Amino acid sequence: MSGNQQALSVFIVDDEPPARNRLRDVLNDCSEKLPLKIVGEASNGSEALDMLTELPVDVVLLDIRMPQMDGIELSQHLLKLPKPPVIIFTTAYDEYAIKAFELHAVDYLLKPIRQARLVEALNRARNAVPVKNEVLQELSREPRRNLSSHERGKIHLIPIGQVLYLRAELKYVTVRTVEREYLIEESLAALEKEFAARFVRIHRNCLVAKEAIEGFVRGGEDNAESAGWMVKLKGLDELLAISRRQQHIVKEFG
Amino acid sequence: MNKARSIKQNDATDALPNFRNVGITLRILLISNGMALLLALSQANGWADVPQRMMQIVMLLTPILLTALLLLWAAQPWLDQLEYWQGVLAVTLSVAVLTLAIYYLAGELYSPLVGDDRNFEAARYVILSMTVGSILLVYFRLRTLALSRGLHDARLQVLRARIRPHFLFNTINAVLGIVRTQPRQAETALEDMADLFRMAMSDARDLVPLQKEIQLSKQYLALEQMRMGERLQVEWQMQDLPEDAMIPQLLLQPLLENAVYHGIEPLPQGGSIKVALRRTGEELQLRVENPCLPLSEGRHRGNKVALSNIRERLDLLFDVEARYQVETGKDFYRVEIALPYVTKRPKLKERST
Repeated sequence: MSGNQQALSVFIVDDEPPARNRLRDVLNDCSEKLPLKIVGEASNGSEALDMLTELPVDVVLLDIRMPQMDGIELSQHLLKLPKPPVIIFTTAYDEYAIKAFELHAVDYLLKPIRQARLVEALNRARNAVPVKNEVLQELSREPRRNLSSHERGKIHLIPIGQVLYLRAELKYVTVRTVEREYLIEESLAALEKEFAARFVRIHRNCLVAKEAIEGFVRGGEDNAESAGWMVKLKGLDELLAISRRQQHIVKEFG
Repeated sequence: MNKARSIKQNDATDALPNFRNVGITLRILLISNGMALLLALSQANGWADVPQRMMQIVMLLTPILLTALLLLWAAQPWLDQLEYWQGVLAVTLSVAVLTLAIYYLAGELYSPLVGDDRNFEAARYVILSMTVGSILLVYFRLRTLALSRGLHDARLQVLRARIRPHFLFNTINAVLGIVRTQPRQAETALEDMADLFRMAMSDARDLVPLQKEIQLSKQYLALEQMRMGERLQVEWQMQDLPEDAMIPQLLLQPLLENAVYHGIEPLPQGGSIKVALRRTGEELQLRVENPCLPLSEGRHRGNKVALSNIRERLDLLFDVEARYQVETGKDFYRVEIALPYVTKRPKLKERST
């Protein structure tokens, strides 16, 4: 089937109502040259994520600077969808992001968006593959505000402030909050690097939130691997073992 | 009421210090007495001798110094009319004449302990006071140069900061967004933008009527509200504002722009900016307070270009008579500025071109 006959489904994400208006206007103007339909719009990241989970689309026009969750972070979560959309970033002015886009050949549009430029980007999007996560990670200036976990067709956002610990288990990392556990498919080393300000490594396979440390107790077995110290986290009964190599943190945080 | 006078040729560096400014007066007192202390030190035979020598010198210095300050205070409007070099000449000469007059009139106090060469004594005091006067003038000149150099360098940068590209492009985009459905609002928005940019591109050293700055700030906020809708709320609180008050132009608007960009925009639910303006006695007080994300949630540090520029301009125009205070709370940010209530531009004189 040739994709050219099928209308491209487009979704708009921007926190400013007039900016969404403008995009709708220009998209409608484009539709004469290019079959497309606007299937929805959202004014913030989590709303967009919810809607796009229900309704897969071909292309998302995504504003970078938004409160709470910026466009780069949202695109990272969108990659976890079974059929991730192609993302075209939009920005009025962001020197840093633009440099990064150029460097990684990520498509972006400058606001105010011109019709010709939009048609061009949409045409390219037909055959494009979603941007790689590694690239998106390099684009982001600051750590994500949320982790995301894909579970039975739905994406859960886990605000990073609620995470008590991260523990690597085989090919997954367990994310623990006061309420429950989630599984995410990321590497502990990358998480440690991204959230260095927030987490401290207590064991080869475990990072705990510095803010959540309540105290330390002796209790674990003292052997070559373990120093016998355990961490108690706020709101959690479970105790986590500290490795011999990391036992200096007992002094630092104790 | 068009009091924003043009000062095309007028440069802040080309002006005598404002002798009616408390900060200037304080500096003059401090520096002259500092020099007196140096003199006492150079004459003294030992540490114990220093206070006595100092007393002697201060007794001679103080009458001249205070009379000179009084004279300059009175002559300020007249000095304002002069070219810089004329002013320097006038100040130095009047200090010399004043010294002579006091020397001959106050007789006893200045009568020499040893010598009886009254002409030498008189000449000595005149030379000393003219030297002190010149040193002070050089100091003020250098200080003004230093401050206005900073001002000059910062100007391009500041022009950029004032017209934040983010604001420019987003606003144009927003106008485009409403132009088909609400053409009239789009027209008003473009008019507001024109006013704002005209002001941003004019000379930063002008004083403008307070009411004009308030109006401009409201136009600016209207533009931001067009973009952000309900998320941006503003509470104005104005009390006893005199109609004729003048303030440095673009003093309030950049504070509001910071409050929007760093405070309200990153907040998902938005928030309310509180602007309080009032006059107390001889002072105008401006306060801008905005809520902001707690630091832990990734509040980013703003660039301080706009703020440091405001501080520099206040220093240059009002010296210690203007105060500036920033308070960063857990979830709010507050800037307070107090400046003298003036009805015309101080210090910087007008010169015909």
